[in-house]
Amino acid sequence: MKSRVLALAALAATTLAIAAPAAAQGKQYVIGFSQLAFDDPWRVAFNNQMQKAVAKHPNFKLVLVNAQRDSSKQIADVENLLTQKVDALIISPNEAAPLTAVVKRAFDKGVPVVVLDRNVLGEAYTMFIGADNKLIGKKAGEYVGKWCAEKKFNPCNVLEVTGLSGSTPAQERGEGFRDGIKASPSVKLAASVTSEWQKAKAMPAAAAAFQANKNFQVVYAHNDDSTEGAYIAAKNANLDLSKMLFVGIDGLPDKNGSIVSILQGRLGASFVYPNGAAEAVEWVSRILEKGEKPPKKVVLGTDEITPANAKAACEKYDCEFK
Amino acid sequence: MSTSAVSSTPIAQPGGRRVLDQVLRFQGYLGLLIVFVLGAVFAPVRDNTNLFLDVPNQMNILRYVAETGIIAIGMTLVILIGEIDLAVGAVLAFSATLTAYLLTGGQFGTSTAFVAVIVAGTALGFTNGIVTTGLRIPSFVVTLAMMSFARGLARLIFGGVSIPLLPVSQGGAAPESAFFFSERLFGVLPVPALVMFALALGVGAVMRYSAFGRHVYAIGGNPVAARLSGVRVDVTRVVVFAICGALTAFASFIHAIQLNQGAPNDGYAYELNAIAAVVIGGTSLQGGIGTIAGSVAGAWMLGMIDNVLNLNNVEADVQLLVKGALIVAAVALQRLQRRT
Repeated sequence: MKSRVLALAALAATTLAIAAPAAAQGKQYVIGFSQLAFDDPWRVAFNNQMQKAVAKHPNFKLVLVNAQRDSSKQIADVENLLTQKVDALIISPNEAAPLTAVVKRAFDKGVPVVVLDRNVLGEAYTMFIGADNKLIGKKAGEYVGKWCAEKKFNPCNVLEVTGLSGSTPAQERGEGFRDGIKASPSVKLAASVTSEWQKAKAMPAAAAAFQANKNFQVVYAHNDDSTEGAYIAAKNANLDLSKMLFVGIDGLPDKNGSIVSILQGRLGASFVYPNGAAEAVEWVSRILEKGEKPPKKVVLGTDEITPANAKAACEKYDCEFK
Repeated sequence: MSTSAVSSTPIAQPGGRRVLDQVLRFQGYLGLLIVFVLGAVFAPVRDNTNLFLDVPNQMNILRYVAETGIIAIGMTLVILIGEIDLAVGAVLAFSATLTAYLLTGGQFGTSTAFVAVIVAGTALGFTNGIVTTGLRIPSFVVTLAMMSFARGLARLIFGGVSIPLLPVSQGGAAPESAFFFSERLFGVLPVPALVMFALALGVGAVMRYSAFGRHVYAIGGNPVAARLSGVRVDVTRVVVFAICGALTAFASFIHAIQLNQGAPNDGYAYELNAIAAVVIGGTSLQGGIGTIAGSVAGAWMLGMIDNVLNLNNVEADVQLLVKGALIVAAVALQRLQRRT
């Protein structure tokens, strides 16, 4: 037994000895990442996952810049990265129209450009990786349909807590959900209130909805924070939480995120809104090191996180639990 | 004050005018009353219960209003001396995150954490006051800078993510006693509302009966005259900003407890809600005129509007329109009062 361990150690040591110089000799690449903001938990997780993905490539160096939700700052950020002669540019643009030109400039220079989450206009970029809000909303709707059928609630009344009215993700998460529950006639969208994505606003809005109608079985909010706000309102209204389902979107791994919440038994389900960081770094590596030509557009799927798989999801997304 | 409009205002009958004057004196409360009546009239009825008038609903409104109300008390003092504090939302975010951080760190009990949070808020307010008076920079600019500074501080120290704040009994790390602030007295009256009323009474009494209160009104009415008559104008100004910071910190403690989190991104536009509450409550943005009770009534009215619209499931975009129109109507009423 002991000798086997030693042998393994020796093997590992030699492998390392061979691998280390090889990596050092391999061409070094600088990846510029222009992020529109660092200020919300989703973007923080986004940046963490980007750093982790880059760390897997010892010959990659990441330059991460923050546009602070200001498109003109982001234009300057990208110009700055180009001046630094980055080998590839990853960008999550604040707004499409203002950033299209500078992204095109990078692309025309021959720098591979991976656009994440929100797109720019036209085709002057290497590839776009983004999520599909409609699909995520639909999955949430289907899950609610399944849950209502299992619990035999008929009608199964849903309270929807929407994101900022008029914003694209709020619209699409709403539409997708309506699509998803079409196949379940027992599911009834009984009321819809708005939280503008904020927990502090979700609480009074949901409280008023529960005041108007105590008979809700499901709360579906367009983001996890708002679901948590509605959960507190339901608790304050003395509703029977054990007979209710709270569904959100985001599936964040931080200690205030929904994976932990599901493990703690508050939220019933959450759907991951993926950021594409890992995929972007993977594609940059394939473009730079293997000369591959990527697809123009990649649409990411979602992960359904429920009490059944929350532990596994926690490990997969490196969540902060205990 | 501006009286140029007097001559162009048609004059009502003397008798009617006196009645109107009396009504307008209570304009802050009048708005509250009108919204209350409208709410009751337009509320949905279920099982013979008017959902708006239902006691639990009124308590929900009070609970919701408490944070804005407490901040509005401090904001009233600031506006009374003719200044403004745009930093309260960011200070709330910082102090709420600090609250969650201290309570879940395991080293501090509820009272220590509470005192630390109030001290931190007071220090930020004090800084606003010192910079405004010491460097003679308008408070609009100083507190605008503080808005950015406090928000940045919250993000930097706590890493940009929110901190969950749950009691030990729910799998968290915070002492149970802190959650007193999310409870309801006798199962009915929300503690945050009680805190708001207690603070309003306390600060209201100080404003009415103490030298400090008289100085605040004097500075707002005419700072030069106040100085000439021996009021220590700068000291009073600094104290007012510090009080505003302390009250904001108190609101943030309640905010964190109620939301079960401390988030550096919370509190956006809270300064505007607080200013709206103060102005609706009849305090003049020029300073010198206004009451604490009016501001609390203003905050209460704003909360009631939100509640009625939500009870009726009014679309979010329409809510914004209605709210905007009601705020203008309330302040228009106030201008009418100035002219008469």
